[in-house]
Amino acid sequence: MKERILIANRGEIALRIMEACKDLGIEYVVVYTKEDQDSLHVKLAEKKYRISDYRDMNDLLAVADEVKCTAIHPGYGFLSENYRFARRVVKRERSLIFIGPSWEAIRDLGNKLFLKKLAKNLGIPVIPGTTEPIYNEIEAELKAEELYENLNSQGINNPSLLIKPVAGGGGMGIAEVKDLEELRPTFRKIRAYAKRLFGDEGIIIEAKIPLLQHVEVQILGSKHGEYVHFGTRNCTIQSLSKQKRIEIAPGFNYESKYTFNFKEVEQNIINYSLKLAKYLNYDNAGTWEWLITPEGKYYLMEVNTRIQVENEISAKISFVKNKQINLIKEQIRIAFGEKLGYSQKDIKFKGTSIELRLVAEDTKRGFHPLSGTITKFRWTPQSWLTVRTHVPQDKPYTIPTQFDPNLALAIICGNNFEEAKKKSLEFLNDVIIEGYTPKGEKLITNIEFLKEKINELYKFIET
Amino acid sequence: MKIEYQNLNLILQKFKANPYKIYPVVTPHTGYIREFKIKEGDFVKGPFGKWLEKPGSPLFVLERERNQKIIRAKISGIVQKLRTELLNKFVEAEEIILEIKHPLSQEEIISEILLSALYIIKAPETARYILSPTIASKLEKEGLGKVKVKKGDEILIMAFMKRETPIYFSEEGNFVIYHLYFTPFQLIERDQPLIGFCQEENLPYLQKIIERIKEEWSNS
Repeated sequence: MKERILIANRGEIALRIMEACKDLGIEYVVVYTKEDQDSLHVKLAEKKYRISDYRDMNDLLAVADEVKCTAIHPGYGFLSENYRFARRVVKRERSLIFIGPSWEAIRDLGNKLFLKKLAKNLGIPVIPGTTEPIYNEIEAELKAEELYENLNSQGINNPSLLIKPVAGGGGMGIAEVKDLEELRPTFRKIRAYAKRLFGDEGIIIEAKIPLLQHVEVQILGSKHGEYVHFGTRNCTIQSLSKQKRIEIAPGFNYESKYTFNFKEVEQNIINYSLKLAKYLNYDNAGTWEWLITPEGKYYLMEVNTRIQVENEISAKISFVKNKQINLIKEQIRIAFGEKLGYSQKDIKFKGTSIELRLVAEDTKRGFHPLSGTITKFRWTPQSWLTVRTHVPQDKPYTIPTQFDPNLALAIICGNNFEEAKKKSLEFLNDVIIEGYTPKGEKLITNIEFLKEKINELYKFIET
Repeated sequence: MKIEYQNLNLILQKFKANPYKIYPVVTPHTGYIREFKIKEGDFVKGPFGKWLEKPGSPLFVLERERNQKIIRAKISGIVQKLRTELLNKFVEAEEIILEIKHPLSQEEIISEILLSALYIIKAPETARYILSPTIASKLEKEGLGKVKVKKGDEILIMAFMKRETPIYFSEEGNFVIYHLYFTPFQLIERDQPLIGFCQEENLPYLQKIIERIKEEWSNS
């Protein structure tokens, strides 16, 4: 049967999936909502269907049936980590291929407590703390005392604890406790908050890591039990609401001195990530996110069971038998049951790659997102530069307000860190984004913020 | 006051010449149109009852993923431009299937005319809006035309790009909330009116205008 992919996403990721499909000679269909009708992915696609919402499973499946698609690529965001969607795609009467890992893997890894328990059982380091939700404050105090003593005995003096809702996400409702005396009132406050916002009163208590770096491992598994990694990425530079803004691959600075053996740490987090992937028969692209402390301790934080925004910086420095890799193409090939055709020893890493996320936001006012119209978006093409954007360059483009105001990704390559950094600044000084807000004011972007933050790459940040 | 009493005649004449508003009916989502429940020229009813709890007239049946859904009229009026050629065809979301030519009621005319008479807060962005909790509870207690606001009061909350942004009242003077143009939690297009305010000292004059419209309209 002829394969045909429904691209269930928008923006630059839709464009990258389209490109991958073209390269592989596979037909594709795109969907879009009314607000996105001027977007580039709609303009460039031959077959397109208007739907009510990118999150509407019924609409996606109705279009998939109508145009006889055989597979769905969810991209990132929207339904990409929704295991119920993945399950429905493969289990329905007219089943389709879900381009991603199995729905069971999405379900298990998407549950933070389950992941923590599983990791602990496999001997994988996780942030010290509770692995069961706590519902009453006497128990909470006991657990907190236990954790406090435990951290003290590890030589961490006066550790801070974090009180988090089990059901939360994106940093919502997290409170810090510096003194055990504060624990009960804080617990009550967060429990009430959790009930109000998430309908679940469960609370977890964790050690606060005061200084850290955010390093992630890119894993790829196939349906034939093959597993490889594409090294690490450092995603420490984020916005206030913990959204990544600058990423760099590799995840450690090979030219700098660490107080610990960073090569050993990198190898360990890769090995632990692979261990968990193998345990769950993980069979697509996935990202294992780790926290690294200045002492060289590392903790598994979460697993993203989808393609990442920043996947391309890994691809840019990874060469399989001397050919650059494309992770989206690999995702599609694997989902259709193909073998990898190479093993870890065939993968060589060369150079450094940085991704800059250009966003219409006011970084001086709490990263307030801005809508508006882009009238000019120009940059000088370079051999070391790839710009991923859904913003058309030939006509004004109005940023839809329902989605994140991401404008473009700039992917920069260099032979080493210093070169990649220099070229990143060259790009940031060259790129022009002009536009106006609905009120007629000048549109602000985060370019100045990126210029400033580029000097903080590979540094530990306070949390 | 933005409306001169003399101009009112002109405005009223305009409405009298064409006392209709056209509402397109679009598909809420994709699917197959399985049946038309109406034909061109039929009069359909919007939701009615004390809390609009009784649904509007059925217009057509849309089938998706083996579920059939009856699409109903959201407003009363006459069916026109019915696209019967779409029967048993797959349609996209937001496809216009027909139009309802809605005769404006006295109340709706007043609401339209008040638009130019009141101080209006318009939607700064295409987003979802709710009244701020304080305003909402005051309105519930005191009703429209009674709740006073002053500069700096939080009036609305805009849910936009995954964030909630408060909207404050920015005019000097003594205003009261006079008219609500929006439904909470519904997506409102940018620049659509949300709330109309009237200066306290103008209240009697505004009442006079409304009386006048009522008088004129019942005569026609």
